[in-house]
Amino acid sequence: MTSNNNDKQTIVEYIKNWSRKHSLFVMAYGTGCGAIEIPATMTSRYDAERFGIRGAATPRQADVLLITGYLATKTLKRVIRVYEQMQDPKYVIAFGSCTINGGMYYDSYNTINALDRYIPVDVYINGCMPRPEAVISGFVQLQKQIAEGNADNGTKYKENLEWYRTNQTKIIKNWRMPDYNW
Amino acid sequence: MVNLDKENKILETIKTTFNVEGRVIRKNRVEINAKKDIVSSILLFAKNQQGYIHLNHIACVDWLEKGKFELSYIIWSPTDKITIFVKTLIDREKAEMENIDNIWDQANTYEREFREMYGIQFPGLVGDFEFILEDWDEMPPMRRDFDTNAYAEKTFYQRPGREDAKDVREELTKQSGEVIPDFAKKYSRE
Repeated sequence: MTSNNNDKQTIVEYIKNWSRKHSLFVMAYGTGCGAIEIPATMTSRYDAERFGIRGAATPRQADVLLITGYLATKTLKRVIRVYEQMQDPKYVIAFGSCTINGGMYYDSYNTINALDRYIPVDVYINGCMPRPEAVISGFVQLQKQIAEGNADNGTKYKENLEWYRTNQTKIIKNWRMPDYNW
Repeated sequence: MVNLDKENKILETIKTTFNVEGRVIRKNRVEINAKKDIVSSILLFAKNQQGYIHLNHIACVDWLEKGKFELSYIIWSPTDKITIFVKTLIDREKAEMENIDNIWDQANTYEREFREMYGIQFPGLVGDFEFILEDWDEMPPMRRDFDTNAYAEKTFYQRPGREDAKDVREELTKQSGEVIPDFAKKYSRE
């Protein structure tokens, strides 16, 4: 990831990124315990919609995939399917210490320990659990990356698909998944 | 003084009918220890003749040191308001137990879970083998000799940074003067 593309952006890219960063549709999909912080973030007290953050019903309409908390190996399969169905540009925010290094489930037999081995992650929010302020701060960080033109992990995933598949199939041994032609 | 007449009565009934051991734990709690062959007869007797129509739970404990699994069938009567624990010990090696889902249908769910998580076989049990786990080809994970830490290290990528994690229990016991029992020491990080 380059440090700052701000000066190199054309006016079209600038407008494109500006509008993208102000309408982040979040996939309504909760894994683990962190999903309970999302209602608090969305409702009137913290009101995430003033940043343009709102829910989306299906993967094809969503821009952001939130991984909220620990990710069981069984859920990882569903998360990969959801992620692969999402349209570009797509971003991933990993939420809580479980996605970073396993958290308190570091020695569990059924939760993965480092999320960025399986899908590319744009922003990590640490904490167990992160409060709504931390969640919004993570989203603002993502908006900053988008405005700078640095958030292109969707392309990165396609380019390094083989590496990601190797890691994914290590966990999901019986791989019966559709192939997408993106 | 607590009146335990009801509890003693049902305990005596089951004891004399099946010639098993048992005791009254406290008010509304009765424990029965039986051999594994007669557990289903006791359950059927309690259900059909004594009104213990409700199966609360089936619990399994792995007694690794004894080489046994302990199965507890917990049943309850809406008229007596008494909970009976029917406990039995089965061998850990080639663990096998009678299938009781013809007495209570919901026992099927518990038995499928034990088959998957403990490796206990229930002859005649109908249901998919894969229940909670997916693509699992190791030892059943709830057995105590399954080393979950080693499995996680082998399977999942470990991000560096945990090396200096300390066992906080030692600090806490120093403060309170409590002693860590031997069986708990093996879970220590050192």
